[in-house]
Amino acid sequence: MTATQRLRARKAAAHTFLICFLVLILVPFVMVISASLRQGNFAPSRLIPDKISLDHWKFVLGIPYQEVVNPATGQTRTVKADTPPLRWFWNSIKISLLASAGIIFLSGTSAYAFARLRFAFRHATLSALLILQMFPMVLSLVAFYVILDFTGQYAKWLGLNTQTGLVMIYLGGISNYIWMIKGYFETIPPSMEESARIDGASQFQTFVRILLPISLPIFAVVFILSFISYMSEYPVASVVLQSSENWTLAVGANSFLYEQEKLWGRFAALAVLSGVPITVVFLLCQKFVIGGLTSGGVKE
Amino acid sequence: MSVEGGYPIRQILVALVVLPALYLDFAIYRTGNVWVALAMLIVLGLGAFVYLSDAGYTYRYLFPGFLGFGLFVIFPIVYMVFLSFTKYSSQNLLYFDRSLALLRQESFSVGNVSYTYKLYAQEEGKYILYLENDTDPTKRFVSGPFELKPGEQPKGPHEPVNLVALPPNEGVPGHALEFAQVTRQKLFIPMRGREFALPDETLVAMEGLQKFASRDRLWTVNPDGSLTNKQDGKVIRPDFKLGFFVTEKGEKVGAGFRTYSGFENYIRIVTDPRIQAPFFKIFIWTVVFSGISVVLTFGVGMLLAVILEWKDLRFRRAYRTLLILPYAVPAVLSILIFKGLFNQEFGAVNEFLRAIFGFAPEWETNPWGARGMILLVNVWLGYPYMMLVCTGMLQSIPPGIYEASAIDGSSAVVDFFKLTLPLVLPPLMPILISSFAFNFNNFNLIYLLTAGGPKMVGGGIAGETDLLVNYTFNIAFRDSGTNFGLASAIATLLFIIVGFLAWINLKLSGRNVKI
Repeated sequence: MTATQRLRARKAAAHTFLICFLVLILVPFVMVISASLRQGNFAPSRLIPDKISLDHWKFVLGIPYQEVVNPATGQTRTVKADTPPLRWFWNSIKISLLASAGIIFLSGTSAYAFARLRFAFRHATLSALLILQMFPMVLSLVAFYVILDFTGQYAKWLGLNTQTGLVMIYLGGISNYIWMIKGYFETIPPSMEESARIDGASQFQTFVRILLPISLPIFAVVFILSFISYMSEYPVASVVLQSSENWTLAVGANSFLYEQEKLWGRFAALAVLSGVPITVVFLLCQKFVIGGLTSGGVKE
Repeated sequence: MSVEGGYPIRQILVALVVLPALYLDFAIYRTGNVWVALAMLIVLGLGAFVYLSDAGYTYRYLFPGFLGFGLFVIFPIVYMVFLSFTKYSSQNLLYFDRSLALLRQESFSVGNVSYTYKLYAQEEGKYILYLENDTDPTKRFVSGPFELKPGEQPKGPHEPVNLVALPPNEGVPGHALEFAQVTRQKLFIPMRGREFALPDETLVAMEGLQKFASRDRLWTVNPDGSLTNKQDGKVIRPDFKLGFFVTEKGEKVGAGFRTYSGFENYIRIVTDPRIQAPFFKIFIWTVVFSGISVVLTFGVGMLLAVILEWKDLRFRRAYRTLLILPYAVPAVLSILIFKGLFNQEFGAVNEFLRAIFGFAPEWETNPWGARGMILLVNVWLGYPYMMLVCTGMLQSIPPGIYEASAIDGSSAVVDFFKLTLPLVLPPLMPILISSFAFNFNNFNLIYLLTAGGPKMVGGGIAGETDLLVNYTFNIAFRDSGTNFGLASAIATLLFIIVGFLAWINLKLSGRNVKI
């Protein structure tokens, strides 16, 4: 075998491996799409649905449709979701956007102090931030419940079963992002800010007018990462949000899968309708995210 | 800092935040939450100082972040540690004061004086109660207007509503309700929970649906804190170790209360066989799960990264984009999708395996099947992250080192293990450790995929696939065994373990750490 033949064989092997691997990875997605279009509520198990029906999509979009109740007589009834499930998707987007904006503000300002200012216990505080954040959010639920129950007595819009209350709770998860932004700030030489100070700008002005504009890429990364992690957050949302019109995508999607009755078709339709936009946005922002990942930060 | 632009903008902003906050603080103080009000006052004072004084300048940037972090990360941890030293569960749920108040509220019917009643509807959901003594109809009493919420059990003990004697010729304002209306509007439900005090301070309360009867408090409070039962003379006193009021024979009476228990919860983890056996089993599974997850995701991710770094391969970009997909889809959705695919009877995986190989693993009922499924799903979820990180690392290796070894005639595989891996492993260590820590607490995966199932034989609420964090969650929030104290103790141990991992990680990563 010549060298070129050997190279060609190795390439073929690599392609075969990658394609087989991709099939394994992508089949679940195809099956979900198929389950969302299949009549009846079956667990995803087919690549192509046998009987195509748009009922699940209609249900998720909140459009009424006719369901056959008695096949013998052909009797039907109108089915319409009380809360259109797509609303959960919208709730999730709202909550994640607000929480991510808050995270940007809180971690950005703190990171500036850690990167550019000197104060007592700076290093110790930085380490403590990271270690304390390791405490899983799920186990803070008792305390979150106490906090929201309390705030709700004075401001109803900040209590249990409110989206604002959930956003407020989410604002605690800043330490990984402080580290990321601080790392980025430190790669920017302070000389520009120093010369602006000499020209009479205040410290705050150098932060807002000089450092922030240069650092937009890292803020994009932080925004996307925190957005993704809050889109997937389940336990805290499931305890805080009790009424179905307030639910997030994660809580709503899981609600279709009771132990007794698993509504796979509806779940699949919701997964497709809400998963596709998120995935597309993620792929469009790929460059940013990958850049941010290599600087450390685990998706949660 | 001098004021910019001539206007004291900063001062005005501070005032705009602080003044409403002070008002709120006062409201909190007035409702009796003195300590919370004090804490809030201190935080407000600190905030005002930081934003007004030049000395606090640095902290102007830190204050908002620290406030959020303190409230939603540090406070929950402190609260959890505090709870771990208390007895606090579904049996010992109330504060001592509440538990005592409930006992003092208990009453029993005395004598045979009974009253006929009538309710008079007033405006805004208020009612007036009218009572007439059955044996002596001239004895008539009437209450002031009080609120009744139809069909709702009143929350907590209420002060009795006072009744006054009604002069012979006077009527009662408002519209009298028929008996049928009282039942139909479900007004009797909140009525049953209320007590009324006659002018001579005897209590009356509803007995059945039609009558009122006089009642007396069941317990008298003695100066030493014990309570005496007026009916049978039994004496009970609070047992602060048990968190219950107990009789001399040790019988529990009334609702349990929260109490300090020292290290009892921690001791229970180590000694109580019902906790100890599942705890250690779950601990080992948690470590094994995290370890295998890291190794597998890293292995698959690295393999793909190496293949995709091969410059001569076509369609590399397309492959990479498709391979990232599992990372792009929200994890909650993917996990639930897999729950369907691995459905033991109807799922795609078993239908496929049955058709091709004629066997179907028990992904749901067999502990090993469930564990295998969890690992498979976790690899699917986790490899893209590792692939991305490894790609970054591989690209930072100077290509020169491979040329040197190519001359020696070594193969690609040998190159990888002898050259590449030793180069990239040390800088990847922090990421591998944080991935380990992340999986250690991977609550979502287990909760949504198997919910801990199958159940552990003889393990109570423990499941074979539960991670420590799920087990803790179950103890705290699920089933009747709700035990916040014990859950807090386990959570505290968990925090120590994971915090230690994070600390090692900090040391290894060489981030400028000085602790």
